[in-house]
Amino acid sequence: MLTPDRVRCFCLWCCILTGTFLSGAPPAGAAAPDRVLLLHSFGFDFSPWSETATSFRSELLKRAPRPIDLYEASVFTGRFDKPQEEASLVGYLRSLFAEHRLDLIVTLGGPAVSFAQHHRSSLFPSTPLLMTAIAQQRIDQLLAGENDTSVALSLDLRQYITNILRLRPQTDNIFVIIGNSPLEQYWLAELRRQYQPFAKRVNFTWSNNLSFSDLLKRAANLPPNSAIFYFILIVDADGVPHVQGQGLSAIRAVANAPIFGFGDYELGQGIVGGPLNPTRVLGSRAAVAAVQILQGEVPRKIKVTPTGFARAAYDWRELERWNIREDLLPPNSIVEFRGQSPWQQFRWQISLVATVMLAQALLILFGLIQHRKRQAAEKSLAESEERVTFTAASMNVGLWHYTQGTEQLWSTEHCRKIFEVEPDAHFTRESLLRLVHPDDRRSAAVMFREMTDGSASAVREFRIVLSGDRIRWIRARTRSSSDHNGVPEKVSGIFVDFTDLKAAESEAAVQRSELAHLMRVSVLGELSGAMAHELNQPLTAILSNAQAAVQWLSREPPALEEVRDALADIVHEDNRAGEVIRRLRGLLRKGESKTEPVDINELVESTMSLLHSELVARRISAATDLHPGLPVIMGDSIQVQQVILNIVMNAMDAMMATLVGQRRILIRTGFDEHGFITVSIRDSGTGIKSDERRLFEPFFTTKEQGLGLGLALCSTIVEAHGGKLSLGNHECGGAEAVLLLPTEEYRIAAQ
Amino acid sequence: MDRMFTVFIVDDDAGVAKGLARLLRANGYDVQCFASAIEFLGRHDSSVPGCVLLDVSMPGVDGLELQQALSADVVSHRPIVFLTGKADVPTSVQAMKAGAVDFLTKPADDKVLLAAIARAERQDEKARREFAEQDAIGRRVAALTPREREVLGHVVAGRLNKQIAGDLGTVEKTIKVHRSRMMAKMGVRTVADLGRLAEKVGIGGSMANG
Repeated sequence: MLTPDRVRCFCLWCCILTGTFLSGAPPAGAAAPDRVLLLHSFGFDFSPWSETATSFRSELLKRAPRPIDLYEASVFTGRFDKPQEEASLVGYLRSLFAEHRLDLIVTLGGPAVSFAQHHRSSLFPSTPLLMTAIAQQRIDQLLAGENDTSVALSLDLRQYITNILRLRPQTDNIFVIIGNSPLEQYWLAELRRQYQPFAKRVNFTWSNNLSFSDLLKRAANLPPNSAIFYFILIVDADGVPHVQGQGLSAIRAVANAPIFGFGDYELGQGIVGGPLNPTRVLGSRAAVAAVQILQGEVPRKIKVTPTGFARAAYDWRELERWNIREDLLPPNSIVEFRGQSPWQQFRWQISLVATVMLAQALLILFGLIQHRKRQAAEKSLAESEERVTFTAASMNVGLWHYTQGTEQLWSTEHCRKIFEVEPDAHFTRESLLRLVHPDDRRSAAVMFREMTDGSASAVREFRIVLSGDRIRWIRARTRSSSDHNGVPEKVSGIFVDFTDLKAAESEAAVQRSELAHLMRVSVLGELSGAMAHELNQPLTAILSNAQAAVQWLSREPPALEEVRDALADIVHEDNRAGEVIRRLRGLLRKGESKTEPVDINELVESTMSLLHSELVARRISAATDLHPGLPVIMGDSIQVQQVILNIVMNAMDAMMATLVGQRRILIRTGFDEHGFITVSIRDSGTGIKSDERRLFEPFFTTKEQGLGLGLALCSTIVEAHGGKLSLGNHECGGAEAVLLLPTEEYRIAAQ
Repeated sequence: MDRMFTVFIVDDDAGVAKGLARLLRANGYDVQCFASAIEFLGRHDSSVPGCVLLDVSMPGVDGLELQQALSADVVSHRPIVFLTGKADVPTSVQAMKAGAVDFLTKPADDKVLLAAIARAERQDEKARREFAEQDAIGRRVAALTPREREVLGHVVAGRLNKQIAGDLGTVEKTIKVHRSRMMAKMGVRTVADLGRLAEKVGIGGSMANG
């Protein structure tokens, strides 16, 4: 609790201490230091006076020609309502300077001046007085004498408000922080007067009658578009003094509006800035004047113009905080504390951290992706294996796998099913071989040997005999993989049960034979016209000859020579007819294919004679070029003739659109260097337009009435004989069919 | 009892040709055999009376084509009897329309065949006779003077002498002279006979068209 006594004691101590610190014992005999008394008005720590004092002190000590003995004391009039007991202070001061002369009194603030003037005559009659840290208007009110001078302030208080309104035009409410001491009350009245013109635009509220905590509350809950003008706070409504900086920092902590300050020492403590009380300048100037006085200048002669505002100064951080654009600042302003945003300050640190974090994140992501991929791969692999097994089983395929080293045979379930081996029974090479049909055992054994030798992939077919003498056909395919030395270590393969396929094949063979027969019959149908004609010729000849013979016989005498000739011709013609019938019969005959020696040239000739009348009817000229002495082929002559017949008939059909004089068929026989007999049938027709492959397709035909079976059947017959039938266009126009049939010697050699 | 009539057999089948030849010879005909139409056209003598016994389906020029070739020959008028193994309606119709004597199929009954040959013989005879007649008439016409020729035309057209004179720009008397000379050269007495002759050689018809 601050009582006047306590404060006086405190003050006393301060004086003593200050005096002790500042003076030190002057060396004996040296020139006596200048003694200066610095007299405060409110105590030593109240803004703005304390700042002015600080500036004054440092400047004075710098500039002083002789050592300075500085004393500081304070009155407290400005803080208390009641008149103080000044007597003790006076006494103290008198005792202080009884022995020593005081060279200068410097007063800070109005109350100090009053005190000094009051007690001057008793204390310091001849000491010059320098008044500073005081408004010029106050000096005018005080009576200044010969021995007085002043370094005063001339502040246009209105500028504070214009500054606020300039920076924050939206402001319609200003909360002015001002205390409740007598001095502050003086200033309150002054402010109210000065700010009257702003009353229309701004609502002013004053904190003079608020306790500090209420003041803080108000500052924290200001309405929008408010501003705080922190003027001075020495003593609040509760009588609590606030030394420099305290009030401002407390308010700043809670304020919800920008704070505009009063003095230059406040910049950086949380005020936005603007025109500010230039305590530094003031202090320096005062010090200059003090030095002048100490050097003997007459105070009255020292005229210092009042100090006004220095350049407006702003705190960049507060500008940022309250979003005040710099272009609103008055020209020639100073912006201090221009700071960097945290980003700018710690750019590389932040980047580094960010990079590291990013790298980490990427690594994690990568890891996750890999993991996901692997999972997907494993899953797909499992699915794929399952599919393979399923597919194999449904195709009646058994998969197996044999490791050389361990002699282990692994097989799928289906594999066992094929061989009808119990799931738990042993399934080895031996047990497999035992199931093989005796006739095929040798071949199967070879297969197994090949397996272990590591020969290339082989396909073998063999029969197995299952319980009940059931025979199944198995096709086996093996594949071996070797280690790096070329030694086969793993053999894998498949078994396919193709019994059904084989059954179908033999059935197909039967059907083919039937079809071949049908074909012949239908071909005959096509030939029937030609057949009739073929038979007709010999019959006509026979008839004519017979009738002639009768007539010759009835002549007188009978022309027996003629009769004999006639009969001979009849026989000849009869044979001719017989030939035709025989061939017809041959074509009609059904049955299994025979294997007998076949003379190709003879076949060609007989085919051409069969077709003779047809060729003539169609105005086709046919020529043959038969290589003499061709070796025989082993086969079914009827079937081979069938083929030649079919091809020649196709050739005839191909020339229907050709000009009559240009219809030609050429049949040439020979043999090539591979031991094949070649039969080439060339026509001068339109040639083959379709894809050669398609021609041999069953039911494919370019003829309107065609069945489309001819060529398919022909190639089957030819292939069954071990030969080849090909059809193409001849370079001279028209088509050429080439029939290759292996000779007997070749066949033997091939086996 | 050999008739002076030749049957030209054209057939590529030697056996058939021989048999037919024998049969025809047994019936008193002369026979000549040809294996192809070309051979026949090249070698036959059109002055020899005879007919053609023709097969249809032959390599090279077939029977129908030969028929066409022969019909273009004004002189010969060879009658044709077809004897063929290939007997279909279109072929037979074409053959008959083109003037064949008959169209027979093999094997042919000898009586049918001989009857056809006989018909052919008669046709040939008749044709020759007519041809000879025409020839004679033609010669007579050729002997006429240009004036007589003109008069012939007008008389046949039924014009009176007076009219003819007017048409030709001369007098009736002259016309009468021409007319009697012309009639004498033509060997006819009546206008009707003249008309018949003229018709045979294709002179006549209306003179109005000029």
